[in-house]
Amino acid sequence: MGTFIQLVIDGLSTGSIYAALALAIVLVNQATGLINFAQGGMAVLSAYIAWALNGLGIPLLLAIVAAVVISFFLGAVIERYLIRRFERGDPDTAVVVTIGLLTLITGFCAWIWTYNNRLFPSLFPLETIQIAGAVVSVRSLGTFIVIVACMLLLQALFLGTKLGLALRAVAINPASAAFSGVNVGRNLMIGWGLAAVLGAVAGVLVAPQLTLTPGMMDSALVYALAACILGGLSSPIGVVVAAWLIGVLENLAAVYVPFIGHDLKIAVPFILIFVVLIVRPQGLFGRKAVVRV
Amino acid sequence: MTLLELADVRAFYGRVQVLEGVSLTVPDGGAVGILGANGAGKTTTLRAISGTVRSTGTIRFDGKDLRGLRPDQVAALGIAHVPEGRGTLGDLTVRENLRVGAYKRKDRKGIASDMDYCLDLFPQLQDRIRSNGSALSGGEQQMLAIARAIMSKPRLLLLDEASLGLAPGTAKSVYQAIGRLRSESGIAMVVVEQNANLAFTLVDSATVLETGRNALTGSSAELKGMDEIRRAYLGG
Amino acid sequence: MAANTDLSHRSPLLERPWVRWAVIGLVIVLMIVLPLMLPEFANQTIARIGVFAVAVLGLNVVMGYTGQVSLGQIFFVGVGAYVTAFGVNADWNILLVFVLACIVPAVIGLVIALAAARLGGLAIAMVTIALPIIGVPLAKRLSDFTGGSQGTSARFSSAPEWTGLYDDQWQLYIVFLIGGITFMLTRNLVRGKYGRAFAIVKGTEAVAGSLGVSPYRFKVLAFTIASLIGGVSGFLYMVVIQYTSPETLHFGHSIELLASMVIGGAGSILGSLLGGIWYVLLPQVTNLIDPNITAMLQGAILLVVLFILPGGLVSLPSLWRRRGRDGGSGRPGGPVGGAMQADAAASVVGTSTVGDALGAPSTQPPPPTTQSPPPPTTQS
Repeated sequence: MGTFIQLVIDGLSTGSIYAALALAIVLVNQATGLINFAQGGMAVLSAYIAWALNGLGIPLLLAIVAAVVISFFLGAVIERYLIRRFERGDPDTAVVVTIGLLTLITGFCAWIWTYNNRLFPSLFPLETIQIAGAVVSVRSLGTFIVIVACMLLLQALFLGTKLGLALRAVAINPASAAFSGVNVGRNLMIGWGLAAVLGAVAGVLVAPQLTLTPGMMDSALVYALAACILGGLSSPIGVVVAAWLIGVLENLAAVYVPFIGHDLKIAVPFILIFVVLIVRPQGLFGRKAVVRV
Repeated sequence: MTLLELADVRAFYGRVQVLEGVSLTVPDGGAVGILGANGAGKTTTLRAISGTVRSTGTIRFDGKDLRGLRPDQVAALGIAHVPEGRGTLGDLTVRENLRVGAYKRKDRKGIASDMDYCLDLFPQLQDRIRSNGSALSGGEQQMLAIARAIMSKPRLLLLDEASLGLAPGTAKSVYQAIGRLRSESGIAMVVVEQNANLAFTLVDSATVLETGRNALTGSSAELKGMDEIRRAYLGG
Repeated sequence: MAANTDLSHRSPLLERPWVRWAVIGLVIVLMIVLPLMLPEFANQTIARIGVFAVAVLGLNVVMGYTGQVSLGQIFFVGVGAYVTAFGVNADWNILLVFVLACIVPAVIGLVIALAAARLGGLAIAMVTIALPIIGVPLAKRLSDFTGGSQGTSARFSSAPEWTGLYDDQWQLYIVFLIGGITFMLTRNLVRGKYGRAFAIVKGTEAVAGSLGVSPYRFKVLAFTIASLIGGVSGFLYMVVIQYTSPETLHFGHSIELLASMVIGGAGSILGSLLGGIWYVLLPQVTNLIDPNITAMLQGAILLVVLFILPGGLVSLPSLWRRRGRDGGSGRPGGPVGGAMQADAAASVVGTSTVGDALGAPSTQPPPPTTQSPPPPTTQS
């Protein structure tokens, strides 16, 4: 039983990382209509920036905060100068652009910091505590709590503030928002900036465990995309729940299903997807997209 | 006092020219109709004003040149565009839709009292205040679109095909509400309509567009009396 | 239209039949003579270019011609290679091995496409990204078939005695033969009615149904063919490189293949060849400078191509010609996806696009994916 709880909590922790990335993808998709395959890569860059700042002597927490803020502006700038041009066109072309961006960012990190694994200091002490007879790492718990806090903050922003209202309006119907005086371009930049912030938080939280390397978030991206398929791109709650589900299930499968083991647990989300989507093509929570011709 | 002036406006979608020299004047507090068949360029004219479409020629609002401004900048000047298709923010509630309309305003009391006014003008919206925009009927969405425009406290309202897709009774009551709005607030209007009968209940003058050009312009009284208009647009 | 970029690239000179036959004849002569004259390293490089040109060709079928983003092409190449290695080491008839190397990836591709194509949108992209990522640990795990992390080698492509050729020459001939046939068959496919159906799915999926084209069916077909061609590439991979390992399937290679396809020219037979050249030669060049910059350069150039030359390198000549005609404002079609302009779509269905809200473009040319202006009758 102790193992089970441990696996569940660890699963919720890694699931939260996927959830943060998935939320970022959903945010960008709702605002600009495309899937950003570079979302994980941007998160890695954020982690490197935090690591570099920390290496210069800046205390870890401050370095992380600075990296997060820088990521916001990076996300905004990328939207304005790289992606904006492709928002009016076909989403498949936009995806290829984001793949180019992913390659560029990963390559940039490799050029500056090489492919060697770097040790990223942990925000949380490497201790464990006892919960209901299970040994749970503080880091897992901390990761989960921090990301949930971020999600709640984001939710508060979207539902409670004027900016949030504008962001939602732009995502639903940019022309109407513009007719009401909302500066659509600026809000798109903010949307991308917020997505980058989510990614940055995920990146710095998972880096101590995975060690920092340019391809660090490649797998996380795959999980996040799986969560998006399962949860439905139109449902932020759906993808978060799906991400947690994926995190927990893969951990359980790795231990309790010997064939899968630790190396093949990445297959778990896709088995899930095949099963769910045969029954409900729009995902667990999403709405059926009605295309009016 | 001319509020809006269009002179020899040509508009383009990419490289295709849709307006070939349209002119229009709207006096302060006046209501001007744009009539014509499908494809004549009525909607495009409104889009040229609100900046959604590329155009050349003169477009002046209160003396200010509108060309080159983004749609949100045009809106900030006091022009509210109620688009064809209504532009309902489906996933937001009716109340949130109205709040978006008031986005540029900072006077809380004014916003609250304007919201009350809108709900008085369109009582059906009061009943649906907490429903999502997408759950509303066509007529209710049209009312919501107009209310959203009113919330920005505009000096000029651009109405695009307000009767489109509505049952005759609903269309009539929408136009009655707009008429009430006009008489109570003095907002100027440009009304694009295929249903000329309805338009003439509201506007003082109108211009008829044909293939991107002004074909006929005159006061409502003059136009209603013309045989061509009667035959083409008023059903005999 | 985008699928006919080849046609638009042919200058009037090439339209004349005798010129075409002369060029084909010249190419055939070169293919026979060059391997005999060139040094071993050159032959090996050309052979590797052939291998990956076929891989890019496969990707083009599903992505360039049919508009479905696929990030899993290298997985099918890897499957083809592993099947080949297994069959050769089990002493099966080489013809049987070849057929299996084509069919096994095709069947896997078919199964995946049947499920993913139902989802529409970018689901194929999101699902295919999993293929190489799951493929690598799977290859390590199934070590009975695959030799695990060590990989397997299979030497079966040494030149037979009666030919009197060196190994590298023999291998290059095999690549020319099989690769050439694959290219020709694919060329015929995309120029025929299937190609037209693919183009319809790519450009106007929403209305494809009313044109009697089932998007689902043709997406599945395109993906299966792409997987099959990937298998052919895998077979040739074993012929030339004679060794495969989980590293062959690595996710990074899938992205490199995609980038090569776009840079070479999406939706173009010749572009696939250019893509193969790019895939092989770029790392060789950058490794001389600094191996760590390969990825960054690849990404940067991909972005540059998408911004200013979306049709890829193969569209350079036609861009040059078009520049003369209408002052440089013409633009070839995008690497993937439809020719339907966003604004036109907006006015037809009454939804709004970001384009509306950002305001009318004043001097900016239309975005790369668009070609035809909207019909004016949609305005009222």
